[in-house]
Amino acid sequence: MTHGRFPRFCSRRELLWRCGAGVAGVALAHLMSRERLLAAPARTDTPSPLAPRDPHFPATAKAVISIFCYGGVSQVDTFDPKPELLRRQGEAMKGKGEVVVSQGHPGGLMPSPWEFRKYGQCGMDVSSLFPHVGGMVDDIAFVRSMYARSNDHAPALFEMNTGSVLPGHPSMGSWVTYGLGTENQNLPAFIVFTDPRGGPIGGAPNWGNGYMPAAYQGTQFRSMGDPIVDLKPPEGMSPARQRRMLDYLARLNEVHRRRNPEDTELSARIASYELAYRMQTHALDAVGVESESAATKKLYGLDEPVTEYFGRQCLMARRLVERGVRFVQLYSGGGNFQASWDAHWDIEENHGLHARETDQPIAGLLRDLKSRGLLDSTLVLWHGEFGRMPISQRMTGRDHNPYGFTVWMAGGGVKGGTVVGATDEYGYRAEENRKSVHDLHATMLHLLGMDHEKLTWFHNGRNMRLTDVHGVVMKEILR
Amino acid sequence: MRTALAWLLLPAALLADDLPRQASEILRTNCLQCHGAVQMAKLDLRSRETMLKGGERGAALVPGDPNRSLLYRFAAHFDKPAMPPGGKLQDWEITVLRNWINTGAPLDGKVDGEDDRAALAKLEDRPITDEERRFWAFQPVGRPEPPRVRDGDRARNPIDAFLLHAMEERGLTPSPEADRRTLVRRAYLDVTGLPPSPEEVEAFVNDRSAGAWEKLVDGLLASPHYGERWARHWLDVVRYADSGGFEYDRDWPNAYRYRDYIVRSLNQDKPFDRFIREQIAGDEIAPGSHDALIATGFLRFGPEANIKSEQTRMDELDDILSTTANTFLGMTVGCARCHDHKFDPIAQKDYYRMQAVFFPSKAVDALLVDAEEIARHKEANARVDAAIEPFKKQRAEIEKPYRERILDAKKAKLPNYIQAALRTPPEQRTEGQELNARQVEKTLSVSEEELTQAWTLDDAAAIGEIARAIAELEKTRPAPLPAAMAVAEDGPRPRNSYFLHRGSPDQKGSAMQPGVLSVLAREEWAFPEAQKAAASSLRRKAFAGWLASPDNPLPARVKVNRLWQHHFGEGIVRTPNNFGKTGDKPSHPELLDWLASEFVSRGWSLKQMHRLMLTSRAYRMASDDIAANAAKDPDNRLLWRMPRRRIEAEGLRDAMLAVAGNLDRTVGGPAVHPYIDPSLFQGSSKRTWEGKPVDDPSTWRRSLYVFSKRSIPLPMLEVFDKPDSIGSCARRNRSTIPTQALALMNNEFSLYEAEKFAARLRKDAGTDPGRQAERAFLLAFARPPAAAERAAAVEFIRSSDDGLADFCLALFNSNEFAYLP
Repeated sequence: MTHGRFPRFCSRRELLWRCGAGVAGVALAHLMSRERLLAAPARTDTPSPLAPRDPHFPATAKAVISIFCYGGVSQVDTFDPKPELLRRQGEAMKGKGEVVVSQGHPGGLMPSPWEFRKYGQCGMDVSSLFPHVGGMVDDIAFVRSMYARSNDHAPALFEMNTGSVLPGHPSMGSWVTYGLGTENQNLPAFIVFTDPRGGPIGGAPNWGNGYMPAAYQGTQFRSMGDPIVDLKPPEGMSPARQRRMLDYLARLNEVHRRRNPEDTELSARIASYELAYRMQTHALDAVGVESESAATKKLYGLDEPVTEYFGRQCLMARRLVERGVRFVQLYSGGGNFQASWDAHWDIEENHGLHARETDQPIAGLLRDLKSRGLLDSTLVLWHGEFGRMPISQRMTGRDHNPYGFTVWMAGGGVKGGTVVGATDEYGYRAEENRKSVHDLHATMLHLLGMDHEKLTWFHNGRNMRLTDVHGVVMKEILR
Repeated sequence: MRTALAWLLLPAALLADDLPRQASEILRTNCLQCHGAVQMAKLDLRSRETMLKGGERGAALVPGDPNRSLLYRFAAHFDKPAMPPGGKLQDWEITVLRNWINTGAPLDGKVDGEDDRAALAKLEDRPITDEERRFWAFQPVGRPEPPRVRDGDRARNPIDAFLLHAMEERGLTPSPEADRRTLVRRAYLDVTGLPPSPEEVEAFVNDRSAGAWEKLVDGLLASPHYGERWARHWLDVVRYADSGGFEYDRDWPNAYRYRDYIVRSLNQDKPFDRFIREQIAGDEIAPGSHDALIATGFLRFGPEANIKSEQTRMDELDDILSTTANTFLGMTVGCARCHDHKFDPIAQKDYYRMQAVFFPSKAVDALLVDAEEIARHKEANARVDAAIEPFKKQRAEIEKPYRERILDAKKAKLPNYIQAALRTPPEQRTEGQELNARQVEKTLSVSEEELTQAWTLDDAAAIGEIARAIAELEKTRPAPLPAAMAVAEDGPRPRNSYFLHRGSPDQKGSAMQPGVLSVLAREEWAFPEAQKAAASSLRRKAFAGWLASPDNPLPARVKVNRLWQHHFGEGIVRTPNNFGKTGDKPSHPELLDWLASEFVSRGWSLKQMHRLMLTSRAYRMASDDIAANAAKDPDNRLLWRMPRRRIEAEGLRDAMLAVAGNLDRTVGGPAVHPYIDPSLFQGSSKRTWEGKPVDDPSTWRRSLYVFSKRSIPLPMLEVFDKPDSIGSCARRNRSTIPTQALALMNNEFSLYEAEKFAARLRKDAGTDPGRQAERAFLLAFARPPAAAERAAAVEFIRSSDDGLADFCLALFNSNEFAYLP
């Protein structure tokens, strides 16, 4: 799919540059005429940038929920047990070459403060940080041999989100909505919830559209109050008053459009106001978790203060996916220091808190999706931007570690109960069956029915890809 | 082939002995070019040890187990990346590799190729062919004669002759002239980015003199707002921002001086060749000039990495090189960082020769005052430091016992094995114990908060006194000196920079001398050695000389194309940053060359080129559709009508302020911070935005002056496709999405401006809704309403108490307001 959805253009190169700017963003008119929102039929030769599109091949997943544990989750304290750390507690980590730390002074090997035990039919090891997720391991594929390219937050976040350690590239949500459009035009296609303690370092470029049109940028949702900034008019502007204004606006625009009947972009812009008007109610409805049953709320931990916030986000994610939203990203952890998973000081306090906040909501999300038959078509990704060191930092903390870490995937055609790859005896470096972030992205696109080598956007003289010139689909986890 | 035949004929037993030699031969001829000295993917296949060690993807070789040996798996195309990239090995070769690994992969000595250095140097060369040099963009700029056209009267100037000629050949008729109201609104928005006032509209509409249009054009080009408007286009291309991006997204309080320099240069009509030289080498061509120093900010606006390493320095240089090539050459050189450009004749060596031009430069904050003032400033600061010093000492003494006590308590809580390490005498510690003890010593610390909680009442009072005294002294510090983001070098003889194989600092090739794009220079461009006493290598000066040389065909073509793009909606080449093979072909190649040659012969004057385009008949065409033309040229490639264009993010916001009457037209100065909902960035101490409310007059400036923070874009601008200012953007995207409508309908700014607009109407037109509607249409659309429109407006304004403000809001949201006619 190289902008191949714009049928009027002739040569490939012609449409390459054309769609690189401008035209891709043009018209919702096609869609709107389908929904009979325009009085007169508009010309429909330019499809909406967000109209639903077929994948390259039959997909197993239709939507993605990315749970981003920002700051970096320790693999050796969660899903990658290393008994060697206890056996060699306090010893220097040897035989691994120079240990590269992001800051401070490397200490000796530090055992995990948590016990591991086996869960599920597959017998997967999970630490006592994630007992609820432990209950779902037969639906989860764990990749224990991930590696990333930077041990610095911002580049690592950019890599996880865009495939590049440098900013300026479209995020994975942008690529997915560019490739597939969205099923519900009354909601944004790509929605991001940040942690109430703050957004991730690097800010908006983490869900930015890079060189693509703004149609593909992530829209930030808030899990309290109005979900979108500017969703509702400020006080004093009642819905009736707004409706009157919109009706008058439609009259103004209609006069203008009659003078320029050939211009589909004008029609699209008219239509976007009606969509916006409807989005005001649809978005509120989509995040209206109050209407859920008590049992469902409990499942997500909405009844407990520690899990309430992330639970709401997980529940909203399900409601959004259910309504056809293509890509939802939830950030656990935000701001700085202990407020994110960035456990430089005290792993026990830090990961203890963040795991308590998220374990039950995440498991609740998986269970709920499953019981509603949505897990089969929804890919849930759980990841940070890198892992953490098996040696100590500031005595009880762990430093960044991009050399080896764990991510997991569930649903959307993923083979549950799978473990891919392995780190070395300390959990320091991915050794067996190493997987890059490009591999992860290639796999995600594959599950969505897209060939990561064919999903391209022409920019600055070449066909850009989410996976650059890399990426191998992880066949091991496909069902 | 020879081996294949021999192999087929020989019994297997004999072969086993020969396997090491054969495997070695296969590796040497197929793999070592990349996985020898160059070590792509950090993989070195020259010895058994290095094969076992493997590269980025893991061990290449697992003796006895071909299926786990990546070397075999990739060669057999079991996994990607399939190797070698040029094409699969022959079956027999793959079989040899498998058998060889099965037998334990023995190897006698090393798999040796040619001499490493020679092999490297050979890899680095990539000759340019004559055919490649013949590509249109690399040809010298010609001076085509404007063609004769049948309808000679229509050709106001040579531009029209070229356009008409192309249209006549295709049987297209140019659109008639647009009406005067359309024209005046178009010209104001296009040249200054601000709508005309009703008085300005009427003045032009009623000026029936022969040169009325030319007078209007000259007036607009002389307006200070011309520089603001066209600076915005330029800032997109040079990825200008007011903060560093990345982890800390540090504010750059001096960045605005570059923005103002651009506005100033445009308003002065600084010759474009001078403009190039200043931005590339201002410090080298005019060391005493503040403007020339500020201009080198061009080299500084790339994202600023948090952790500095050789890799991040290479990334910075890549940003500089890519932006320079995009901006001035319309070439995409970034591709050549890791390999020869796949589409254009840009060798990787060209990339590293050009990198050597910028390699010696480093970021500096150049103080924009004389040496005497710098000395005075330093002295004043030193006085303050000296006065503070005794107070700091005093505080440290009070703190000392507290610190010790808190540290001891903390140590007692450490894990047992760490406490044991601390108890062990240093000379008896194991390596691990030493690491842990050192970690405690270096990182166990006491925070301000912990200290504060521990003070006795007396000490708390004493500390408070000291803090107050220090704060008082701090107030006497002199204000920071004005500075510019600039570059400088460490002297005339820079360190070597290198060809980097695969773009990796770990894979250095030959040392590089500065150079230019070889496809554009048959002979080496001269980079004269700088004198011993020089402050820098003068490489950038020489490079800028090449960029600004009339013999270099690209900069003039690229620049006139950008002007054309903004005046006529699309460039003659519609990929303004890419004149290469994957870019667009010019729709009017002769016109492009005529314009480029005219540009140079008119002393690189931008204003004269603007004037030429604006006074063409083409610019004054109506934008209405003509069915007969559309059938032949639906994309309006031959410009038979003026395209209708969406006003960009900044233009929309500026027009609202202008029409509402509260736009502050001050030119230049530090950037401003309009309100942003804190939920969009809160919580991160490293990213802050002190937004001012909508009724704060400091925010009523043009959007050019909105602080451009990379991690916190102003939503009102971001949603309308303001570029992310991370890479060069020559052509903005144009989205149509509901969140734009939400922002324009519901954002407090829109409502506030609508109220202001309503208040202005009451003031200008009194209480009569009919007169209010007339005035509003004139302000917003540069035309009076038609009778039916007036009636509809009156009805709506009367329909409620808020009718007038809502009417104003509707105008702001209307299509007519959002488009350049």
